[in-house]
Amino acid sequence: MYDVLVAPFALPFMQRPLLVLLVLGVAAGVIGVFVSLRSLEFVSDGLVHAVFPGLVIGFVAGGRDALLPGALAAAVVAAVVLTLISRRGIGSDSAIAVVFTALFGLGVVLVSQQEDYAGQLQELLFGRLLTVTTTDVLVASAASAAALLAVGLTAKEQLFRAFDEQGARAAGYRTLGIDLVLAVAIAVLVVIASSAVGNLLALGLILIPGAAARLMTGRLWLLFPLAIAVAVLPGWLGLALSYTLSIDLGAPVAAGGTVAVVLVALYLALLAVTAVRRRRA
Amino acid sequence: MASPALSLADATFAYRRATPAVHGLTAELPPGAALALIGPNGAGKSTLLKGILGLVPLTGGALTVLGSTDAASTRPSIGYVPQSGSLDPDFPVSARQVVMMGRYRRMGWFRWASPADRRAVDAALETVGLTRLARAPFGRLSGGQQQRILLARALVSEPRILLLDEPFNGLDATNRKALLATIDRLKSDGVAVVVSTHDLELARTSCEYSLLLHGEQIAFGPTPEVLSLDNLERVNAELVDPHDGH
Repeated sequence: MYDVLVAPFALPFMQRPLLVLLVLGVAAGVIGVFVSLRSLEFVSDGLVHAVFPGLVIGFVAGGRDALLPGALAAAVVAAVVLTLISRRGIGSDSAIAVVFTALFGLGVVLVSQQEDYAGQLQELLFGRLLTVTTTDVLVASAASAAALLAVGLTAKEQLFRAFDEQGARAAGYRTLGIDLVLAVAIAVLVVIASSAVGNLLALGLILIPGAAARLMTGRLWLLFPLAIAVAVLPGWLGLALSYTLSIDLGAPVAAGGTVAVVLVALYLALLAVTAVRRRRA
Repeated sequence: MASPALSLADATFAYRRATPAVHGLTAELPPGAALALIGPNGAGKSTLLKGILGLVPLTGGALTVLGSTDAASTRPSIGYVPQSGSLDPDFPVSARQVVMMGRYRRMGWFRWASPADRRAVDAALETVGLTRLARAPFGRLSGGQQQRILLARALVSEPRILLLDEPFNGLDATNRKALLATIDRLKSDGVAVVVSTHDLELARTSCEYSLLLHGEQIAFGPTPEVLSLDNLERVNAELVDPHDGH
């Protein structure tokens, strides 16, 4: 057990991705609870699509080191646009779908102009967990901490607004500001998750922990530690598992993909347990 | 008479400028008194309440709340109890946590509940008689209990004006009595209360003033005068119309 779960992390190239997944997991757990409370799943999906051209433009303009700043800039712009669209209410879902499908397509067109098109596309879509640099770890930590701090400091306002928007406005809150803080935090998280486990898997890391926590408890403040646990555990287990499969058993698997599979498996297990408990109750 | 808590002068409220939702409203309410808004469904009662909060734009005439015409600045001094059943029953909050939301605005940004906030929440729960259900999930409470929790949420903000949107819909006798007692107590503390209702009996017993409306003002004044047969007949068709669900 020790050999599988702990020993691999003596290697620096395993420590860096573990660190990224841990900080990401804490932020994704907390912010994911608010995504679930606000039912922002579709908006988050829109952000995942919008971030992709940002990743590509950053990469095209400044190479690998410009990837994260490019994507962060695109994500913040997208978050503001999305928030404004979705506050218009009716028809906003189609507007989001059109805008962000177009942006994702733009990203693919841009990346197809590059040499080694397939390899780069793969890295952007599926992440590059095992090749993260120390700089990546620092950027991921700083960005996750900032997103977490912004949402944490406005937690009671986020809660009020999620529960009862009209009540919050009646109490004197301007909900646009509250909405923007959450949307930008989700966007930042999408970028960090995209660069770690890939654009395609980022959505799961943001949506699943919050949804899983709501399966487990109806107590508000318990949601947060539970969601963090659901976000962090698969990072650790998935990395360890992919290492063992790839190195010890000679069956090379992608680390990011393994993390995502463990995350989904954990969610399904919790879903099954909940179903059984509800049947008994 | 003390300066009015609320005053409307030929006020018009509209979601879209071209189509006023309710217009021609002229009324005044002193502190410590209650005003009943009476009219059929779609008459503009809820719109007027949201208009007082500044959530529906004033497109004509004047609205003065606590001596100010800037609705956004007076909002924190107004308690608002929405119609029950408008909130997600699966939202994971306890009754007590819902009441605490009413204190958030006073706490300010980046601050958490102080002992004074917790005492105010306990007192409000006591006032609405739901101390024993404080830890229950809000969504599991009956409609009447949810209504009382939302009333407690409005009370902890220590409002000078309280707006209640159809608070007596679906209330059983116990909840109804508790709510009436709370309204009377607030009035004696100098709070101005505005209640939208279909319930003429409630208006007669608890509200000094009534505003009869149906897209526009039909009548305003002391309740006995407003609820005259003549006036009621002008909106009567709608008030007893079986198709409006009441």
